[in-house]
Amino acid sequence: MTQTSSLPIPSTPQPFTPQPIRYVAEDGTPVQDLPAAYTPERLRELHALMLRAREFDRKLITLLRQGRTTFYAQSSGMEATQVGLARSIRVGHDWVWPYYRDHTLGLAMGVPMFELISQCLGSNSDPSRGRQMPHHFAARKQHFVSISSSIASQVPPAAGNAMAQKYLGTDEITVCTFGDGATSEGDWHAGMNMAGAAHAPCLFVCENNQWAISTNLAGQTASETIHIKAKAYGMPGFYVDGNDIVAVMEVCAHAAQWVREGNGPALVECLTYRVGSHSNADADAEKNYRTREEVQEWLDRDPIVRVEKLLEHLGHPIDAEERARLISETHREVDEQVIRAEATGQPDWRIMFEDVYADLPGHLRIQAAELRAEQEGSAK
Amino acid sequence: MTATQDRKEAAQAGAGTRTINLIQAVTEALHEELQRDERVVLFGQDVGARGGVFMATAGLQATFGKERVFDTPLSEASIVGAAVGMAVRGLRPVAEIQFADYMGPGFDQIISQAAKIRYRSGGQFTAPLVIRTPSGGGVKGGHHHSQSPESYYAHTPGLKVVMPSTPYDAKGLLKAAIRGDDPVIFFEPKRLYRAAKGEVPDHDYTVRLGEAAIRREGTDLSLIGYGGVMPDLERAADALAAEGVGVEVIDLRSLVPWDRETVVQSVQKTGRAVLVSEAPRTANFMGEVAYVIQNEAFDSLLAPVTQVAGFDTPYPYVQDKIYLPGPNRITAACVQALNH
Ligand SMILES: Cc1ncc(C[n+]2csc(CCOP(=O)(O)OP(=O)(O)O)c2C)c(N)n1
Repeated sequence: MTQTSSLPIPSTPQPFTPQPIRYVAEDGTPVQDLPAAYTPERLRELHALMLRAREFDRKLITLLRQGRTTFYAQSSGMEATQVGLARSIRVGHDWVWPYYRDHTLGLAMGVPMFELISQCLGSNSDPSRGRQMPHHFAARKQHFVSISSSIASQVPPAAGNAMAQKYLGTDEITVCTFGDGATSEGDWHAGMNMAGAAHAPCLFVCENNQWAISTNLAGQTASETIHIKAKAYGMPGFYVDGNDIVAVMEVCAHAAQWVREGNGPALVECLTYRVGSHSNADADAEKNYRTREEVQEWLDRDPIVRVEKLLEHLGHPIDAEERARLISETHREVDEQVIRAEATGQPDWRIMFEDVYADLPGHLRIQAAELRAEQEGSAK
Repeated sequence: MTATQDRKEAAQAGAGTRTINLIQAVTEALHEELQRDERVVLFGQDVGARGGVFMATAGLQATFGKERVFDTPLSEASIVGAAVGMAVRGLRPVAEIQFADYMGPGFDQIISQAAKIRYRSGGQFTAPLVIRTPSGGGVKGGHHHSQSPESYYAHTPGLKVVMPSTPYDAKGLLKAAIRGDDPVIFFEPKRLYRAAKGEVPDHDYTVRLGEAAIRREGTDLSLIGYGGVMPDLERAADALAAEGVGVEVIDLRSLVPWDRETVVQSVQKTGRAVLVSEAPRTANFMGEVAYVIQNEAFDSLLAPVTQVAGFDTPYPYVQDKIYLPGPNRITAACVQALNH
């Protein structure tokens, strides 16, 4: 994606900048000139993507309450970060090593909603074949690599993916996402260091939503920001308002370009917030560890509302009817895909033994036969 | 310690017994040890204000303060490594790892530091610490929240490995682990956290590491397991009792050290052994138990030692229940051994 902007592209690691880069203020007024690419039509499209993701969250939480899926990690509040990132890379060309909160990134990258829902239901139509817990997607076509629950375990492989791209001489880049908590893991440091030393084309994106379950950033690290850690690994670090989709897209696109041009890896820190609970296993976030006031402050910085205010400011407001239509369309689409996915049934016991190895080795053949006898016996 | 002894022990306290579940037993053990010994400190991800992902440490920070019960950054290597350092310097750290599946990033600290510092320093430095972690399946957690990695740790000299299945044992073993002078990996079968209920005495007690519990006595077959599968062993034994078969049920409780005497004596009496665990079959700890049985009770065996285990696949999400060796699979293995 080519874009024009006044943002400087650094050729050496950036000095520490404590204020996140921003284009649009919370009240919707631009704080610097918007690049020409952000036409009202384009902003509308980005808005629609974000709204769709928000409603996907709402509907999936309902499925959870109905017991039709067993785990879900919302990304409400983080839509600008994930949609902005998706729109800054070349989908299906670049490679992405995401983390478990990235369904909005997946949706915006064009992973079909049917696939995402099938995975959440562990149905026969799940491309991951019912193996993973819900909300852990894999989509080969989009180069969206299988999500691992184990925090930060995707970071060293992402570095390796980028090293392979360099070795193969492609113009692809690798994108690796993670939360703020992930940056404490040894794997994160190992992967960052490896990518830096290898000069690998890897774009690291920290979705800093400020909480790792009940641990806030101050409890996670004494470092004032995450992005300054980039310097230690010999790469530039950018600090972006993650609720400002224009800023996210501008910075990610430029950082991606910089990486693509062979300058080595880069780190972008998107400062955002998860307004919901960590997951369904964390129902009492407000009661346990954070204040209602803090959550309210961030609800007031809603990235979707910000685009609506920006469009209003530009004289192209989204009318209420259009907004309502988008919401009801998404709800209908989710309902339809759920019915479609459930209709495919659930994978049976056989699938358990496949994909452990490239071929079925002898010992698994024996175990599969034992289970077949047991299943056929109990079916009688 | 036998089941009868268990009950006797609890009864000694007379009116002073209560029925609690397994996670409450863990909380009580931690509470009492924090109270008893100022050197005990408790830490891990989210253990403070939130009380841990399973609420095992709920309320402890409020009672003992942030210096003794605290949250850490999200790094198992840091958690385990720091525990080693604290222990070397004289504290009694009890670290929580949110899921046994996430001990991976701390693995090197466990096997290279915690397990070896006493040996490699000629006993000059020791690491008396406890790593508590929920393990096992049956909760629809997929492969990263359901694994049973105890064999990795049992394979490492220098570590003690424990897995209780009752509230009584959870409390007594955890207290013993905290008071002991060795690094202990303390696995808590998460599917029993609330499902396992039982009596504990009000008075202070410990359960020695390395002693199995005979849960019920029988003369026809020895059914041996530990952790999350124990209720299924009991169900299988019930089913066989209805057919007139006397099954002796043994809960190992500790894998390192493990109670060879109790197991061998039982098999010498019954002539048959069925070993149950939910970990994958290959290199499963029960392979060691089978070896010792055939080595020390060979002349008594009336049937080959049989193992019921998880399959050699990553733990699957959709087939969560099929993967586990439930009462039917256990009963079938027993019947096979009886009919040999
Ligand atoms: C190695 C490892 N340790 C612990 C966990 C349990 N856990 C799941 S999510 C989470 C917090 C992650 O926080 P962060 O990286 O900031 O991402 P966020 O969920 O806030 O988006 C933890 C501790 C895990 N999944 N993997």
